[in-house]
Amino acid sequence: MEVTVRIPTPLRSLTGGEEAVKLSGATVREVIDGLEKAHPGMKDRLLDDKGVRRFVNIYVGEEDIRFLDGLDTALESGQEISIVPAIAGG
Amino acid sequence: MSTFRVEPQLLADKSALVVGVGGLGCPAALALVRAGVGRVVLCDDDRVEAANLHRQILFDERDVGRPKLDAAFDTLRARGGTEAGILRVHGRLLPDTARALVRDVDVVLEGSDNFATKFLAADACQLEQRAVVHGAAIRWHGTAWLVPPGGAPCYRCLFEDVPAGAQQGCSEAGVMGPVVGFLGALMADLALRWLTGDASAAGSILSYDGKRDRLRTTAVPARRDCPLCGQRRIAELIESAYVSGICTA
Ligand SMILES: [Zn+2]
Repeated sequence: MEVTVRIPTPLRSLTGGEEAVKLSGATVREVIDGLEKAHPGMKDRLLDDKGVRRFVNIYVGEEDIRFLDGLDTALESGQEISIVPAIAGG
Repeated sequence: MSTFRVEPQLLADKSALVVGVGGLGCPAALALVRAGVGRVVLCDDDRVEAANLHRQILFDERDVGRPKLDAAFDTLRARGGTEAGILRVHGRLLPDTARALVRDVDVVLEGSDNFATKFLAADACQLEQRAVVHGAAIRWHGTAWLVPPGGAPCYRCLFEDVPAGAQQGCSEAGVMGPVVGFLGALMADLALRWLTGDASAAGSILSYDGKRDRLRTTAVPARRDCPLCGQRRIAELIESAYVSGICTA
């Protein structure tokens, strides 16, 4: 299952500036593991020991994975995963 | 030549609270005053610093060291605001004052640089049934969204609770002037649309990428177990619930 992960600006320092990364995985968890392998440090920015960090939201297409099966949400080829982190500043 | 603008009489009896008169609050307040919003209340406790000037467009070199609200008041007066139409609340938004401040206006624009204030504004607006526009910007990236009275989806649907632990500071991360200016204008756009009866922007968060000039709209579903707009309702503001670091990226 090849999917596209959209990397938000604050995390692009970990992807060498790439805004989208193509990865394979059957679930969101597998894709995040792949993301960590390709871009070490990413997993720690997205997950803590309880799962997805509180002020990070992960979407598959238009759906927040909290409303699907969380990290076990199954993926279909061509889907897009978006990461929306909370930011403060101005 | 014709001009397009919101008819001022639609806005003359409307009011807005701008929380944080910084890179977001300055352009937002200017747009609201210029559009004819009858009462714009500014809330901030800072003084102008030289490092603010690249993005905080109501201030210039002569204002360095002055309270931001006084400098903002003078500039807004010089640009068409009335003495009675621009109010100053010197101080931070705090749990013991937040509800009364938001209750007194039609819409709140929250462009604060810290999560404690963001959550406090969200909670106070929900409790007082007021619309709130949240804005944030860091480096080349920013977000803005409108939460109508009653929330659902609200700030806590998306971000749950004040993040604990060390946060990266704004001064350290920096923010690009044009990016934060764009987001401040977008916040005013969302607020003016709300004030003139258009709630169509509610329910989605707008994310702007200033390096690629992309604006994305992401639908935010309301969370059934959201502590603010869902089943586990926050019933009052508790002082200890609003403590956080400054920024995160
Ligand atoms: Zn909510």
